[in-house]
Amino acid sequence: MKTTYAALVAAPAFALAAGHADARPVSYPGGWTWMQMNNGDFSAIHAHYSPTFRDSIGLYSERNWGEDWHFTGLQYNRLVKRWNETGSQANVYLKGGVGQADPFGDAGAELAGFIGVSADWETRRWFTSYEARAYDLGFNQSARQSARIGVAPYIGDYGDLHTWIMLQVDNQPESETPTTFTPLVRFFYDVQLLEFGYTPETERFTANWIVRF
Amino acid sequence: MTKMNIFLSALALTIASPMAVAQSETGETAAAEATMVTVSVKGMVCDFCARAVTKVFGQNEAVDGVHVDLDNGEIHVGLKPGMSLSDDEIETLVRKSGYALVSVEREAI
Repeated sequence: MKTTYAALVAAPAFALAAGHADARPVSYPGGWTWMQMNNGDFSAIHAHYSPTFRDSIGLYSERNWGEDWHFTGLQYNRLVKRWNETGSQANVYLKGGVGQADPFGDAGAELAGFIGVSADWETRRWFTSYEARAYDLGFNQSARQSARIGVAPYIGDYGDLHTWIMLQVDNQPESETPTTFTPLVRFFYDVQLLEFGYTPETERFTANWIVRF
Repeated sequence: MTKMNIFLSALALTIASPMAVAQSETGETAAAEATMVTVSVKGMVCDFCARAVTKVFGQNEAVDGVHVDLDNGEIHVGLKPGMSLSDDEIETLVRKSGYALVSVEREAI
């Protein structure tokens, strides 16, 4: 009961305290995941393999149009803590990446890396998540955070098409528009997850795709 | 004549023995019942969760089929005839999938 209460309090607190809040960055043992995120400010690809349900490692590549740089490197994700409760699940993850980054133009590539923390809490009806990430690209240091809240208008069983209505809040202090709100719709069927959104402040579309196999 | 009887008897036994064993093995196999195991778990709330469970249980050689009931937080595991999974093995598979075991119920089918 105490654990349940802590999880229930912690997850919304994370969400309110607040990038991109991607889906769970760790799969089942032996599972592969392909994630593609595009929101107008950046496009990113993250392909990873999970040797256990607690770890995943893979490639992360991001082209950031808002700050004019490109990063490519290895990313490791670790499930630090999971709360399994009747009808709900909450998770805390740590993420880290190391690779090389280069600014758009003639400058050469530099050693670069990032660290991040994310948390989520989910029932079959409600979803909340939060992610914060800090980059050191040598020529540029930046941070961003993102939070989401979502609701499923109907409850589908395993194998059905699942639909979520979500609102994402992004905060990127260095950006021309530091805080943005993006309504999204998520479709989740079989191993495929698709998201489409629109950010009125920047007049940009979001399109995310995740597949697990 | 006695020697002929002994030879024929031995020949008959030699031919009949493997058949008797085969019938015995067939009988035992037919008698072994398939088992359905209902595993209740906590934390299984989405299709990715269900897929994890299906993959992990499906890799076990004793498992014939897996069905996930998200509504009730249950995994229905069909075992192959003559095969078994102990409660400890089931708990290990549930943990390996990333979830928490609540209970295990077995039913012969």
